[in-house]
Amino acid sequence: MRKVAIYGKGGIGKSTTTQNTVAALAEMGKKVMVVGCDPKADSTRLLLHGLAQKSVLDTIREEGEDVELEDIRRDGFGECLCVESGGPEPGVGCAGRGIITSINLLEQLGAYEESEGLDYAFYDVLGDVVCGGFAMPIRQGKAQEIYIVASGEMMAMYAANNICKGVRKFADAGGVRLGGIICNSRKVDNEKEMIAEFARRLGTQMIHFVPRDNDVQRAEIRKMTVIDWNSECPQADEYRTLARNIDANDLFVVPKPMEIEELETLLLDFGILEGAPA
Amino acid sequence: MPKPTSDIPILEDRKAQVHTKGAAPFKLACEKHSVAGAVSQRACVFCGSRVVLYPIADALHLIHGPVGCAAYTWDIRGAASSGPQLHRMSFSTDLREKDVIYGGENKCEAALVELIGRYQPKAAFVYATCIVGLIGDDLDAVCRRAGERTGVDVIPVHSEGFAGSKKDGYSAACRAIDALVGTSPEPKPGLGAPPSINILGDFNIAGETWVIRDYYERMGIDVIATITGDGRVDDIRRAHHAQLNVVQCSGSMKGLARLMKEKYDIPFTHVSYFGLEDMSRALYEVADHFNDPDMKARTAALVRDEIGAVMPELRKYRDALAGKRAAVYTGGAFKAFSLVRSLRTLGVKTVIAGSQTGSPQDYQKLEALCDEGAVLLDDTNPLELAKFIDQTGADLLIGGVKERPIAYKLGVAFCDHNHERKECLAGYAGMVNFAREVHHSVCSPVWRLTPRGCRTAAPDASPPVRPLRRAAVRRPAPRPALRTTPLTIGAKEVAV
Repeated sequence: MRKVAIYGKGGIGKSTTTQNTVAALAEMGKKVMVVGCDPKADSTRLLLHGLAQKSVLDTIREEGEDVELEDIRRDGFGECLCVESGGPEPGVGCAGRGIITSINLLEQLGAYEESEGLDYAFYDVLGDVVCGGFAMPIRQGKAQEIYIVASGEMMAMYAANNICKGVRKFADAGGVRLGGIICNSRKVDNEKEMIAEFARRLGTQMIHFVPRDNDVQRAEIRKMTVIDWNSECPQADEYRTLARNIDANDLFVVPKPMEIEELETLLLDFGILEGAPA
Repeated sequence: MPKPTSDIPILEDRKAQVHTKGAAPFKLACEKHSVAGAVSQRACVFCGSRVVLYPIADALHLIHGPVGCAAYTWDIRGAASSGPQLHRMSFSTDLREKDVIYGGENKCEAALVELIGRYQPKAAFVYATCIVGLIGDDLDAVCRRAGERTGVDVIPVHSEGFAGSKKDGYSAACRAIDALVGTSPEPKPGLGAPPSINILGDFNIAGETWVIRDYYERMGIDVIATITGDGRVDDIRRAHHAQLNVVQCSGSMKGLARLMKEKYDIPFTHVSYFGLEDMSRALYEVADHFNDPDMKARTAALVRDEIGAVMPELRKYRDALAGKRAAVYTGGAFKAFSLVRSLRTLGVKTVIAGSQTGSPQDYQKLEALCDEGAVLLDDTNPLELAKFIDQTGADLLIGGVKERPIAYKLGVAFCDHNHERKECLAGYAGMVNFAREVHHSVCSPVWRLTPRGCRTAAPDASPPVRPLRRAAVRRPAPRPALRTTPLTIGAKEVAV
């Protein structure tokens, strides 16, 4: 089983990209489990056709420690398995501790056991590696490969670079490696080239450039992944390509985060070169 | 063959906090964070707040945190109350994993409403522990809401354990008390009011505050509030009516005295109630402050009577203890000064003196007070204490519950002078208790059965008995040889 964690700046499209990729992997016949690591518990909405799921932490809170795997895991599109870690409402408690607790519980309950027959476990993690709790999915024995979702926007690249620092820390302690950057296009000038270069500087690759297409929103409105909603549309093929690239990926590296000056120079070089008419 | 304890090396980072008088010009580093790995005897911020506020007997004390914080400080002082005993209950919100994740605010508010309903306290203190600081519970808001719902003043104590040292806990406690001072509806007494004081920094361990209060009242002084020994919320509310704050202890209540000086222009004076000298000086200083010839005369008579009453018994202990050596390790340095003087009264020389929280001025004073060759220690640890006790040949260690095992393991007498003790050691009567306790421990025959007792036995004494440790394995403990010093229990002499 391959354990994969998806990180990236808040709002960049991690959950959307993850679910669409999982749908494509499921279509390929892979058995996938998705673990949403976000207190909002919206990482599996498209696979489940709605926020129907009770989160791990809500279940523990209401029913005590005596929880069965069936209580917290739902079947989603293509027989994928969906789990939401959940967490406190905004502004109270410790969401990081929540992630630690729920991942520990999943392990105790045997969600990752061989008998489950999983090909993939995906962790969809809220934003940045802000504290120890949000680094839980990449600690020793958890996810071995990381994909960072980014776009050509400056803040997305800052965040991606910062996440690389976290990955490097845990790469020394455990075995986690960066598998690549997924570019979720925001139609920024020179975006594809810039992210390809950005990835190269980090010592990794751009695993796929996902173009911006309103079909993604059209599917989302219907609480569906693109493949589920319209498997014939071109965007569905983009996610199939991304899924195939991940499935065939063999480039796993300890990233080399960039200095801020270097990152800013990169942005200048690519962003202004052919951008606004000078 | 194990190395002798005196060979224990001192950690490089600790060396500046150790000084032997006479060995070099006096210089002692202090007011530093504890060295990691040194096993400091200091407590955390929360513990500092807890020990200070604990004796307020008609207040509810709720510890917002995991149950261990409450258990660790349960009934932490031998602080007596002449009335309510609510302070001796230790309430905890018992924060667990789910509360950490989802936040503990609701649980805290529910606990406050329930407890206030059940116990009807005059006020409630809510202590923040480490975990509350980490998960960011808004304690101020919780206290405000609970106060509005119950009509009782609920005061947050910002004592997150990791956020500083025990001393920071004292400040947090002072700020919490300050929130109550001045909230009394009673009018301030006019100009003709009798002289009045607040007793600050005495915690009524085994009734000590009562002893002290009695002295002041006999001098003709009105004691408004005792903070916090045998403390009452309503007394604290009108503490700003006092004309003088008499502060014992170097650290814990200085902050409150300063705040009250700023806000209410009440002067303060530092005193100690331990030992004949310091006790008398305290009373004379207060009498001097009010500058009333009648009061001065009453004070002189009081001191004369009290000292006269205790001297015969003290002389007896002094004869038995003369020439003994003592190690003193206290929380605040003020108590160390008093102990050095008290021990001198008993003919005992202080060979080690130190404190957890002394300031540069404190140590200068302590060094001046000690004899040549005395070892001064700031923020020391068990290994250093053991080393120097062995090196100086101390017969007695005076400290708290954390120092007790060090003494007993080394085979050295011990006297508990910390806030957990149950013996009144303040005032004139307290000096007799102190002398008795020191005498009984130092002169106990049990030390001669320890390896150290055998090693250091005087040549003219009866032949040393075998160490207890070996004896216990092979044969019943040998009967100790007849002692030369008579052993007394109470006033009765008992034959061994």
